[in-house]
Amino acid sequence: MNRIEARLQSVQEKNEKAFITYITAGLPNMDGMKEIVRSCEAAGLDILELGIPFSDPIADGPVIQAASYKAICQGVNVTSVLAAVEEMRKEGLKLPIVFMMYYNTILYFGVKAFIDSCIKAGVDGLIIPDLPYEEQGELNAALAQAKAETEDTSDVPILIQLVSPVSKERIPMLLEHARGFVYCVSSMGVTGQAAEFHREINSYLSSVKDASKIPVMMGFGVRTAQDVAPMKEIIDGVIVGSHFINLLEENGYSQDVAKKYIEDFKSELNK
Amino acid sequence: MDERYFGEFGGQYVAESLMNTLKELDAAYEEAIRDPQFIEECAYYLREYVGRETPLYYAERLSQEYGAKIYLKREDLNHTGAHKINNVIGQILLAKRLGKKKVIAETGAGQHGVATATGAALFDMECTVYMGAEDMERQALNVLRMEMLGAKVEKVVSGSNTLKDATNEAIRTWAKTAEDTFYVIGSAVGPYPYPKIVKEFQSVISREAKRQILEKEGRLPDVVMACVGGGSNSIGMFADFIDEEGVKLVGVEAAGLGIETGKHASAMALGRPGVLHGMRSYLLQDENGNIELAHSISAGLDYPGVGPEHAYLKDTNRAEYVSITDMEAMDALMELSRLEGIIPAIESSHAIAYAKKMAKTMKKDDIMIVCLSGRGDKDVHTIADYLAGKGYQN
Repeated sequence: MNRIEARLQSVQEKNEKAFITYITAGLPNMDGMKEIVRSCEAAGLDILELGIPFSDPIADGPVIQAASYKAICQGVNVTSVLAAVEEMRKEGLKLPIVFMMYYNTILYFGVKAFIDSCIKAGVDGLIIPDLPYEEQGELNAALAQAKAETEDTSDVPILIQLVSPVSKERIPMLLEHARGFVYCVSSMGVTGQAAEFHREINSYLSSVKDASKIPVMMGFGVRTAQDVAPMKEIIDGVIVGSHFINLLEENGYSQDVAKKYIEDFKSELNK
Repeated sequence: MDERYFGEFGGQYVAESLMNTLKELDAAYEEAIRDPQFIEECAYYLREYVGRETPLYYAERLSQEYGAKIYLKREDLNHTGAHKINNVIGQILLAKRLGKKKVIAETGAGQHGVATATGAALFDMECTVYMGAEDMERQALNVLRMEMLGAKVEKVVSGSNTLKDATNEAIRTWAKTAEDTFYVIGSAVGPYPYPKIVKEFQSVISREAKRQILEKEGRLPDVVMACVGGGSNSIGMFADFIDEEGVKLVGVEAAGLGIETGKHASAMALGRPGVLHGMRSYLLQDENGNIELAHSISAGLDYPGVGPEHAYLKDTNRAEYVSITDMEAMDALMELSRLEGIIPAIESSHAIAYAKKMAKTMKKDDIMIVCLSGRGDKDVHTIADYLAGKGYQN
């Protein structure tokens, strides 16, 4: 079983909600990032989203835009991040890792070569906000080919499906072959708009949850466990991105701050 | 074949939250262009408000100087000073049909921003224009015009502070507000159906030009030429000639300081296929697949990509794409001003400059139509700085 699926199954067996955070790869630097990743694992984080910096992040708000720009200026690229993940896996990291990235980065690398590199490094999933369902054919073909060539198909990364408050009649199509978890975007627009959830958030989340065979996670604009208290019973977990980056930036990428935030959020979420 | 694609180019590389919006837009557009009332409304505003049709002017002195018969399609004579208004009228009428009261737009040179602000004033819509900080400086006059027309100009300070970044910001805002806001895209770029829509609304240029040249010369031209940034005036200029095999189509990109210097905006010359702004097309990229900064003295051509249909026309060899440096364009601008009493936009001057080169390979009775996409009034500051030898910053 893929690391994402295995972890979410164990969370569900404990009757708990999952917690996912996002960090921009390579910040404050590659070694510093590795330390943060290890602290996240130690704090009980369920899945880590690692953002591969791109020059034109159209799905991201100001916080992640700024972080991406900083990382690019420091020379961070997909090759260096893949290498870092591979090293961490060799050092025993078990934490499921999902790359959040834009499609051009994959296209430039070469789609099949990229998938092969993910398998080698130990990347468990991909979130690609500018690759809607209709454009996934090329990537799916590469994933299928990789599965045919790989001994243990669970090593092949899962393409995570995103659902939005206005997806409506598209939901069954999006969920049909979805694996890992469903990423429910809480609001229209970009990442990091402080807890301004869509006005029909609860009915939207319920409609996704009802249709989904796999765990449903909610992200975009979440800062605290209190923000999601009103919809906690509907969803299977929460994703925090921009707020976590802010927290790390403000506290000099302190491992203790990262650890405490994750522990507190998880315990509040599962109270 | 997938209607969303031109060969391998085009598509809809946008957030899931915009997919339904694009579907609605496509349906509304297809319905509108089959509705005689909509077509008549468009024609009415193009005629009575924009001032179409525009002349196809035989530039006699330029022809003598360059050595072929050169006709200029005078899009510079449109209301607001460029071809951009053709597309804006169509899209704003579409927005009205969809019941949207707010429009947003991106702008580089400011011409599309001014055109959108104009259309929004005319139809009483709230208008916000996204513009890179550097472009706001280069095109201060157009910023003032947009504000006079009642639009809000949102300064974009991210990345290169130019058209690419203004487009990113417009897309982000659109993703947030699509429920009540219409995004008026100014070039033949973006996710499907935008390239198709922009082409249709700009194809009035070649529909008129084809009829006009047949009236004047009794035959089709040998060459049709236009400058290419994102590619809206050129796709409009090419549209009705694409199926005429005897007509050579030439798109002129900006070579900036020279292709070899790396400071240029020639996505076709040196770009490779990639994904940006919702489309797959030729893009300038660095060794990590990040989008590279384009460079051109003309803000309107300062874009690292090109519309997907142009990428397709290049790959199928239906159109040829060439490039012209800042200096060649500025020389052509001065030459046209003095020979014909027409001050062209720096963008359009790129096409004039290549017309000069191309004419040398043609016979004196051969006919070439060049799209004079805009007038140079907006560029006087840039021209003054250039003539004073100050160059400009980018």
